[in-house]
Formats: sequence, C-alpha cells, structure tokens
Amino acid sequence: MTSAVRPTRTLADRLTTIFWRKPGLLLLLLITPPLLWLGVVYLGSLAALLLQSFYSIDEFSGLVVREFTLKTYAELLRPSNYDVILRTLAMAIAVTAASAIAAFPIAYYAARYARGRWKAAFYLGIMLPLWSSYLVKVYAWKLILAKEGILTWAATATHTGWLIDAALQLPGIGGNSLSTSYIGTFLVFTYVWLPYMILPMQASLERVPTTMLEASADLGATAAQTFRTVTLPLALPGIIAGSIFTFSLTLGDYIIPSIIGTSASFIGMAVYQLQGTAGNVPLAAAFAVVPIVIMLIYLTLARKAGAFDAL
Amino acid sequence: MIPAVEFQSVSRHFGATRAVDAVDLTIAEGAFFAMLGPSGSGKTTCLRLISGFEQPTSGTIRIFGADVSNTAPHLRHVNTVFQDYALFPHMTVRDNVAYGLMVKGMGRAQRYAKAEEMLALVHLDSYGNRKPAQLSGGQRQRVALARALVNEPRVLLLDEPLGALDLKLREAMQDELKSLQRRLGITFVFVTHDQSEALSMADSLAVFNDGRIAQIGTPAEIYAHPKTRFVADFVGSSNLLPPALTQSLGGPARWSSLRPEALHPSGTGPITGTVTALRYLGSGNRVTLTTQGQTIAALLPATDAPEIGSTLTLTFAPTALHVMDEA
Repeated sequence: MTSAVRPTRTLADRLTTIFWRKPGLLLLLLITPPLLWLGVVYLGSLAALLLQSFYSIDEFSGLVVREFTLKTYAELLRPSNYDVILRTLAMAIAVTAASAIAAFPIAYYAARYARGRWKAAFYLGIMLPLWSSYLVKVYAWKLILAKEGILTWAATATHTGWLIDAALQLPGIGGNSLSTSYIGTFLVFTYVWLPYMILPMQASLERVPTTMLEASADLGATAAQTFRTVTLPLALPGIIAGSIFTFSLTLGDYIIPSIIGTSASFIGMAVYQLQGTAGNVPLAAAFAVVPIVIMLIYLTLARKAGAFDAL
Repeated sequence: MIPAVEFQSVSRHFGATRAVDAVDLTIAEGAFFAMLGPSGSGKTTCLRLISGFEQPTSGTIRIFGADVSNTAPHLRHVNTVFQDYALFPHMTVRDNVAYGLMVKGMGRAQRYAKAEEMLALVHLDSYGNRKPAQLSGGQRQRVALARALVNEPRVLLLDEPLGALDLKLREAMQDELKSLQRRLGITFVFVTHDQSEALSMADSLAVFNDGRIAQIGTPAEIYAHPKTRFVADFVGSSNLLPPALTQSLGGPARWSSLRPEALHPSGTGPITGTVTALRYLGSGNRVTLTTQGQTIAALLPATDAPEIGSTLTLTFAPTALHVMDEA
C-alpha cells in the first residue's frame, strides 16, 4: 500500500506548505518592496516637496528661511508667475483635446476592425516612436518646423505656403516660423504624447461589446446617437485615463517648450530655472505643486461628471 | 394575408462559407416561430438578416411586404432580444427600457411612463432605478425583453432567449414568453439549438442544417413525420433504421424512424435483442438493446428494469414506424 501523503523532501516543499497554510504571507512578501518604494521614496519625496513649498526665501541673502509661511504661494499670483501657470494650463488643455480627437479614430479602428497581423502592426506603429529618444524626436521636429525646414519647403512646392503664413499671422499663437511659435510647441506636444492617449482609449473601446452597438441600432438609434449615448460613455474611463497622461505630461514638461516655441516660460521650465540657477527651491516647490493641484481638480470634476460610472 | 417575414432564395456567404444558402421561408403574422438547428447551421445568421445586422449576398427579404434589402437596422420595425442581453451598463433599468423612445426624441416624462408600463408587463415594476449589474440573469432577460417591446415592434427577434438561464427559470420563462406573445399578438421569431424548447414554445418551426432549411412545419408534424434522417435525429431522440431493418419490420426498403417511447415490452414482437445498457431517468428507464447489429433505444416505465445481458422482446403500433422521404 502506498501512502496517500508524499513525504516533505525539499525546501520548496516546505515553503509551498507554509504559503498554502498562510496565503497572506506570500502576498505580504510580494507587496512589501514596492510598497516601501512607493511609500518611502516616492510619497516621502512628495511630502518633502510639499514641505519646501511652505518655506520662503530671504530676498537679500538668498537663503531659505525654514519657517512656515504662505508667502511663496502668494508669489505664484504675481502676474509674471501667474502667466506661466495660465500659459501651461492652456497648452495642456489644447494638447489634450487635440490628442483625444486625433487618437479616437485610430483607437476605434484598432479596437473594432484590426485583427491578427494588422493589430500587431497597430501596436508596433504606436509603440515604435516611444522607443526612440525623446530628445531626438524633439530636435527632429525643430528641423521639420524650421523656416527652412521640410514643411515649409513642401508647402511652397504645393503652393499651400499661404496656409502656414496665415496660421503664423494668428495673433497670440503665431510667430516668425512654426518652430518659434506656440503652434509649433502645440504640434510637438501633441505628437509626442499621442501614444499615451491612443493606448488606454483603445483598451476601453475594446471592452465595449459589439452587441451593445447593435442593440442601440436595433432600438432605432442613428450612428451619431449610438456614438454619443453608448460608445462615448463606455469609452470615457479610457479617454480620461489617456487625458491624465497627456495633461500631466504637458503640465510638467520643460524640454519641448525650451527647444520649440517662443521661449516663454512654462511651469516645468520655471521649476528647472528656480531650483537651479536661481536657487529658489521654495518657489520651485510651489510651482511643482500646481500641476498636482490642477490634476486633483480635474479628476474630481471628471468623477462628478460621471466619467468613471462605467468602470 | 401578407406574411410577417418572407425570404426569397436568400443566401449569405462569408468567403467560401455558405452560412445561409438559398433559403426560402415564410413566417405568418402573429406566429411564434422557432429556428432550430445545431451551431453553425445558419439559424442565427437568418435572424441577423431579419434584424439587418447581416446583408444578404443574394435574394430578397421582405418584412410585411416591404423589401428591406437596403434598409439599415435602425429603420426596421423589428427589435431584438440579444443572447447576452446587451443591456447598457451605464444606464439605469428605466433608461435602458426607455432608450428606444429617447432616440426617437420622446420627452422624458412620457417615455418614463411608457418604460414603467413595459417593466410592469415583465413584472419588474420596482426595479427602474437599478443598474443592470444589480440584477440576476433572469431579471436582465426581462429588462432586455421590455426594452425590445417598448418600440412596439411588428416582429420581435429572440436570439437563444433561454440559453443563459438555469433549468427552473427556463421552464418558467417558456410559459411566460408564450403568454406574452399571445397577449401582445406580435410575431415572435426565436433561435434555439434546444429541440425541446423549440417543440414546446413554437407553433411553427424551421429545422436548419448546413445553411439550408431541412424541414418546416408545426412541432407535431416535425416530430411525427421527420422528412430526413437529420431531422429525425435532431428533433427528439429517435431510432434511425436502415432500409434492410425497415423491410424486416414490415416496411418498404427505405430509411425509417422509430421513437423510443413507441416501443413496449411484450411476449412476442418483431424486435428481439440483448440489453446492453440501462439508464434510470426518474420518469422511466431508457434501455438500449442490440438486434441484427443495430442498437435500438426504448423508453420503458420505471418499474420495468431488465437486467443487462438479458433478452428483451419489443413491439410497437404499425403507425409508429415512420418511413422517410429520403432514400
């Protein structure tokens, strides 16, 4: 007669038995390192940042005064600083809206129609730009958008140069050339962040069952009504997820606006300059808190509007 | 009378696959019509051709006389209860039911009143404020039914309406669908792979096989007089007897079918064989015996339980042997 129980031989047998008797133990072992990383390194530095923003700088000595004050935050409201915030916010909104509009047809095609090899081609096409260096892409765009660049050249060759000229004549966002105007900054931001919008959008559209769209048509809805009342609400969590990326990445970026555009300051550039050359860490910290606050407000509004109801 | 649905040599091919192949079909107004067949037989494609989610490769489809070959689904006076119900998860039950009226531009108060009426019809009066996720499978099915009926369709299509329900619920729902159809007088067309469901609910049915209709008729006609071996085998369970055996039992040299419940044990009879298997069904015993190299199943009373290996003699009424058209 063989026994119904195999003998415990190896260490692996013993460990497996311990984990089987106490399932919580394995979970604890697995989540402790990432939790420490998130809790201490990430949230800790965020707390340190928040703390710094409540300090101020002594204007004569240039030294940080370690006393609680709201003076630094009040400085954000100075016209020169306030402009930076408004400019960044407007850019982030424009980039997010443009990304959402440009990404939707691509994500919709990928989710509804692409199969097998075409789906692989889609993922490759979306991911490929993310594999090359961000700086290379931005400098490439500088050349494309420059006055002597390929875009102007192509426009001249096809007699559509007046289109670019008309865009550059626009008050506020126009300029000397595309690479030195807000239009250029906007184009490059939209290009660079587009994949971050497409991927979550595609994932959420993929989860909308085809029968749901058929049911809507079956009940008498036109294609536009189906889109508005079924597709869009069900895809909204994905669109919000994508917009969190495009919005927060634009709010924090300092490289694109310093290479392409009017050289007017954005929040990221302000943080970079204040904590570096200017040595004003409290104000840099206060600036860095702004995108966090804006994102919190944005998410609260999105939740109130029911964007996460379909989650 | 103009038929509710009419197919004139309708085909739907997917590449080389002939999902529906030259089907002619007429469904009378007010009928409870079943499309029965194994998976891949073309029954669901036929349903989707009526709703407009598939377009025929060739042929003409008429709904109440109107050629709908070029009519988009949202313009047809036909509504569907989907197999997975396809309820909108982000809307309340009330908004789901009122959806068809909302897209037509009916005011909120009016469409909610109508939605409540429909919910009452399917016995879900107090569930209007819930979300579909808070309902059981049977309740979701009722919501899907109410949502499809709110538009007052002239034909209601049901795709495997009872497939996802457990046995008890399925039986209750069968009765309810039948009485609902009788009260509303709407033509119901449903797809099923379950022959007992088709027999018990429909007043007329089409048996599909390989993209074609094998037989159309009333449940009684199809059960008692199957035209082909496929129909005899698929609808109910049946003993299919090859020509030689049919002849030895007093019939012509053709294939015939003999229902298990038509066989009775007796002292003398045309069929004598060895019992090879016995299954207790509660209501009776299903006995399998071998005779002349052929296995034959018989449904015996529960009190009649022959030993495996024993010899059993069976008899049947002469009319029970059904000779098929097929050679």
